[in-house]
Amino acid sequence: MIRVFHIMVLILFSLVLMASLLVHREPMEQSKAYFLEWGTRETGAVNLVTALYLAYRAYDTLGETIVLIGAVTGVLVLVERHK
Amino acid sequence: MKKTNILDVVSRKLSPFILLFGVYLVTFGHISPGGGFQGGVALASSLLLILLAQGPRVLASSFPIGRISVIEVLGYGLFLLAGLGGFLLGLGFLSPLLPPPGTIFILNIVIGAKVGAGITLICWHLFQEGEEQE
Repeated sequence: MIRVFHIMVLILFSLVLMASLLVHREPMEQSKAYFLEWGTRETGAVNLVTALYLAYRAYDTLGETIVLIGAVTGVLVLVERHK
Repeated sequence: MKKTNILDVVSRKLSPFILLFGVYLVTFGHISPGGGFQGGVALASSLLLILLAQGPRVLASSFPIGRISVIEVLGYGLFLLAGLGGFLLGLGFLSPLLPPPGTIFILNIVIGAKVGAGITLICWHLFQEGEEQE
């Protein structure tokens, strides 16, 4: 019973997310057009994925490196405590 | 576990090429498909091939684990420094300092080294843990 409830909540949540993505298409279309037109010219990177994650969203990439360093620290703590 | 000739030869011949491919993925990340994260994982996979097939002592002779840890921490420090460097020139945090592809190129190399070192460290410690329990 609880599992059915969990699945229902998940489905509802994903439906709401999908609806919000479908409704607010305007900003996504605008940013897509902007990156396609200006991405290579502004950053000098032909690969637009790299242009996004190292130039426009470099702050996000900094956070990802913190996540990785946290994962390494966590593994070290768990393994060393186990010895 | 018994080490066979096939495992020995293939791991020794293949890992330098995987290492080279990882370096290619990292350094050409802004031109062709690839980038710091993917190239870093390729670098780590070549080191892990040596670790799994040849044993930890062979890997430690050419890539000491202390230096891998230093690369892991230094990569984060360099990324942060590249971000803070913008303040000295009166620009914003993480704003490009060099002419266009320069900053992305250097940050790709830093991230590649850091991701490779991080994944190698994680797998190294987990494998050591598993071998001790056997």
